[in-house]
Amino acid sequence: MSSQKQPKEGRVLEVRFVGDEEVLQHIVDKQEGAVLTIVKHCQCQVTKATKCNIELSCVCCECSSKCSMKLNEKTTCLFCTLGVKVGKNAVQTLVSLKTPRKSEPEDSEDEDHEVCNEQDYVEALGTAAQAPNLRSDSDSDFSPSNSEEELEAEEEVLKPAPEPKPASKAPAAGLYKTPAKKTKKAPEPSLVEEYFEAHSSSKVLTSDRTLQKLQTPQLDQETLCRLLDGTSTAFSAELKQLNKEHERLFHKWMLQLQVGFNIVLFGLGSKRTLLEKFRTSMLLGSIHVVINGFFPSITIRSILNSITEDVLEHEGHFRNPLDQLDFIVETLKEDPDLQLFLLIHNIDGQMLRGDKTQQILGQLAAIPNLHLIASIDHINAPLSWDQFKMSQFNWLWYETTTYQPYIEETSYENSLLVKQSGALALSSLTHVMRSLTPNARGIFRLLAEFQLENKDNPSYTGLSFQDFYQRCREAFLVNSDITLRTQLTEFRDHKLIRTKKGADGVEYLIIPIETGTLTDFLEKEDQE
Amino acid sequence: MTTSSVSKGCFVFKPSSKKKKTTSLKASDYFHDGKADSQNSESRFETCQSLWQRMKAETERVQEDLNTNILDSLLEFARKSTASFQSKTDDWASRMRASEIPTAALVLGVNVPDHAMTFQSLSALLQESVTPYVVCLQSKECSALKQVLQKVLVQLMGHSVCVEDDDDEEDQSGPRPTGIPSRKMLCSMATLCGWYTAVTQKSASPSPGKKRLSSSKGCGQRPPVVVIFKDLESFTPRVLQEFIVISSQYIQQLPLIFIFGIATSPITIHGMLPHSVSSLLCIQLFQSLSCTQHLATVIDKLVLTTTFPFKLSGKVLQVLISIFLYHDFSVRNFIKGLQLSLLDHFYSQPLSMLCCDKQEARSRAKELSHEDCENIRQLPSFMRYVEKQEPEIQVQLLTCDKRVKDVTQSLLKELHAYHKNYYPVLRCLHALTSSLPKYPLGKQIRELHGICLEKNVWETEEYESAFQLLRMLAKDELVAALRTCTEILKCAKKLGDAVEKLEEFIERFELLDRCSAVVEMGQEGEEELPPQKGLQKKTDLFQLQKSLLERESRRTKKLSKFELLRLAVLDCIDSIVKKHLLPPESQPLHEVFYYSSAGTLRRHLNAAPRTAIQTALNNPYCYLQSEALKSEGGAISNAAPDICIVYKLHLECGRLINLYDWLEAYATVVAAAEGKDPDSAAAAQLDDVKHARFIRAVSELEFLGFIKPTKQKTDHVARLTWGGC
Repeated sequence: MSSQKQPKEGRVLEVRFVGDEEVLQHIVDKQEGAVLTIVKHCQCQVTKATKCNIELSCVCCECSSKCSMKLNEKTTCLFCTLGVKVGKNAVQTLVSLKTPRKSEPEDSEDEDHEVCNEQDYVEALGTAAQAPNLRSDSDSDFSPSNSEEELEAEEEVLKPAPEPKPASKAPAAGLYKTPAKKTKKAPEPSLVEEYFEAHSSSKVLTSDRTLQKLQTPQLDQETLCRLLDGTSTAFSAELKQLNKEHERLFHKWMLQLQVGFNIVLFGLGSKRTLLEKFRTSMLLGSIHVVINGFFPSITIRSILNSITEDVLEHEGHFRNPLDQLDFIVETLKEDPDLQLFLLIHNIDGQMLRGDKTQQILGQLAAIPNLHLIASIDHINAPLSWDQFKMSQFNWLWYETTTYQPYIEETSYENSLLVKQSGALALSSLTHVMRSLTPNARGIFRLLAEFQLENKDNPSYTGLSFQDFYQRCREAFLVNSDITLRTQLTEFRDHKLIRTKKGADGVEYLIIPIETGTLTDFLEKEDQE
Repeated sequence: MTTSSVSKGCFVFKPSSKKKKTTSLKASDYFHDGKADSQNSESRFETCQSLWQRMKAETERVQEDLNTNILDSLLEFARKSTASFQSKTDDWASRMRASEIPTAALVLGVNVPDHAMTFQSLSALLQESVTPYVVCLQSKECSALKQVLQKVLVQLMGHSVCVEDDDDEEDQSGPRPTGIPSRKMLCSMATLCGWYTAVTQKSASPSPGKKRLSSSKGCGQRPPVVVIFKDLESFTPRVLQEFIVISSQYIQQLPLIFIFGIATSPITIHGMLPHSVSSLLCIQLFQSLSCTQHLATVIDKLVLTTTFPFKLSGKVLQVLISIFLYHDFSVRNFIKGLQLSLLDHFYSQPLSMLCCDKQEARSRAKELSHEDCENIRQLPSFMRYVEKQEPEIQVQLLTCDKRVKDVTQSLLKELHAYHKNYYPVLRCLHALTSSLPKYPLGKQIRELHGICLEKNVWETEEYESAFQLLRMLAKDELVAALRTCTEILKCAKKLGDAVEKLEEFIERFELLDRCSAVVEMGQEGEEELPPQKGLQKKTDLFQLQKSLLERESRRTKKLSKFELLRLAVLDCIDSIVKKHLLPPESQPLHEVFYYSSAGTLRRHLNAAPRTAIQTALNNPYCYLQSEALKSEGGAISNAAPDICIVYKLHLECGRLINLYDWLEAYATVVAAAEGKDPDSAAAAQLDDVKHARFIRAVSELEFLGFIKPTKQKTDHVARLTWGGC
């Protein structure tokens, strides 16, 4: 292909009408090498195109129809589709730009101007299409010969859009060894370019297919676990080797923890098993607290509570976490013999990311007889610590890449492909319900039913308190609004309902539980 | 007991008290590599700890010394403002002054972690000598005015409670006493004011329980209330403004002094406070020592000294200094790095037990075990040393433990002597070269030290150019430099002859001075004058160059006495340098004292988590040395772990990723890996296991922060990272 490019570039230099800027650009491009050749192609084509408008536009039409045909082919993989779509887009815009000119003749100056515009436009599109195209280019080298011939023939005839062609060709051949080949081409577009390419247009250039096409669009957590249990992990020998290396560090960690450093583990793979092993082999003799930072409803308060209540055996409440923290600091200072180990899985967990939380954790970590060993997984986790917090944490970093699947960490039905079965919410709901009086259950049921009736109403804001009271009275569930309010307070405490002030100042009540779960719940209630 | 649950995230484990006693281990028990036998680990740990304690004490002392200046001036400021509160002079200026709150703006530099210590000693000093009423405020506790006032009140009145009836409070124990006042009463400036008048009046009236106040000498009966804002930049401007305005209303009854801790520049005050507020303050600026000076002192006292046997190799020092210069400017972190390297040295090098003071090291060397002797024999530097010996001695050294012990003792002695000479000569060379233009050998002594640690300094180009410049030095400069050199060298006992030589040179210079003064006036004065006149006439450049060249060549032809002497003295210094500034690697047994694993240090102090993750994803072969994963040119094999494949595929997408297409691509790759024909129907059909594996891999990528769900399009996710690795 590169041999073909050479003469074409020569032709570009002959034919083009270009301004100084363009020339400069061109020189720069040449120096940069292959990355921008496609852009140049486009430019070349456009300049030529001005000379043979009519021919071009019909070729374009042909081309775009071909593209869309290709698009429907089953084998297209997504990056290729991307390429195709961009290409198609470019072609279509070319066509649309061309059409007015056919009707009215323009003088040369105007035309020149327009050529420039077009060039800019195509250039922009070209860059947008660049990354995928480069790949498809290289892919086409590997594609079977029949497509190559066709491709060559097409390149002879139609200059406007050579890039969509190979892109659409690629999948059939390219998929066989996809990852290996995709990355083979030498010059990667620079990071900055890549970013701006992706964000340059607000248009999303992906195919419209959805997961509904699958027989099982969404698996629930249970099935997922069952399916994954059966899969054997490859490279178990190597993984064991890795783990052994990490385990050799246990003594060092203990030493460094006791000397006053805190340890943070990073690297790909779940570090839960490793830390758990560390705990069982090293910490069993001392007081320690294990905190699952990935737990979706962990709070700093629960961490502090478990320290004050369970470790320090203090009974009594604190007005705010800072007071509680002060208490812990004081108590530990008074008793220097008390060595407390804090083991936090995912200190960068969703719920612990807040600045306040990290501040408190930092202050905990700064206590001399409290030793902290934690793990991080999110790639941006270190950003949550500024210099001050860093110095409080006094981290020593250890890379422990384990390649272990994040089973526990991703198991809370919070991942995007897993069906939210609501099993958790449902079970907590039934538990709470069981402890309620029949009347209270009826009240909740009323609200739930009302909400389900309105499930298809997108502007449903909730049931207003007055309406609710009326309904409850009619059902002989309450006799005064005070009774109802007491009941609602109880619900609110258990997070079963939420109140919102409407625009008119009226309180609206809703149950913050998904419709499906709520239906399940009502069905279950009916059975009992 | 397991640590996974769907209902809670914290698990507390408390060993039963009996078990606790038997199994609790001290830090020293972890000092071996998991091998139980090494009996010297205990002594190594103790040496390490005692050395660290000494180093820590030294750093604290150094930092205190460095801070004395600024703290003294701050104290002086506090006293003066107190005096102005109390002076009842009724002139206009002092009345004007009286309505302003005296404020010290303390510029501390960007190395925020280092500030804590300064503030601690500041408030301690203030309490000791100026006023018992010192309040420290941190921005994170003061998000609203109410909290600021509460904090001030709690700190002051809690304190006063403690002052008044010390003993009673102790009995009630716990953190309660500080909590009580704020809960009971309204937190307002008026309350504070009332409390202050009550306290001062009480102390004024003769009562027995005011010993604390009498200690605050010089403040009389109305000691000021000092409020320290530790990190001014992080305070909410509105809160600060309100607090200042309110305080200024009470300044007559309540003598307040503010101290602002500023990390950036004093301009921030005006950025935060509008003119109407800042005019209520009478601001005086205090600049603390820059952190680079601070570091220089610390290095001087901890690294460039024979006080501590532990040494850093050139690379390690380089790592620590670059972390300081390019990352945080924090001296505290530098010291942390030092601590870590000390710990790691003693942990990983079994022979580090010899890394102690001279006497101790000798006695320990006498009692080396057989294993230790073997360890010594395996040291590269010792091997080199052995190779240089006569064959008989070689045999002896390799077979006889006693011989090794003897040699070790003498070698250790030599090493100590080497260090004793090294540092003075280093300082001497630095004194000579630090004032040269362009600083060929570095502006700071640590740079010179770095060069000397790496290689023979006299073989470097920088050294060459430095000496060329030195050969052009004027007499008085040279003599002054030589004087400082002799002063430095005098400290080292073993360098007496060098000192003598240099002193002799200085004398000869002075002699030269006296006689040449007579001679030159007669001869050279006449010779020099005519060309100067000529110069003034012809002003064109060519002529000037020519005449200058002429003069130059004339000068090189016949060297004056001074020039000869200058060459001689520089040769002398050169020889001293060559003799004493050998790199430590050339010394046998240097491994005992020098910590050299810079890589470890960098990995643990200055890690790059994101790079590690992306490397693991991009190139699993780095971690899993399996042939199946070997691949060339950044590509990964299709047998790689699922997450790697999914990651690779996602790299090829734009801003949004279609999950279905992604899944299909993934399935094709995995099918290929399983050896199925991609065109056959079997491969095209997705099985549930592949689907599940894909789901897991995608959720993991989401967990790692590479993608996130989006609602822009159904079944799409947004890509979050661009580039990297």
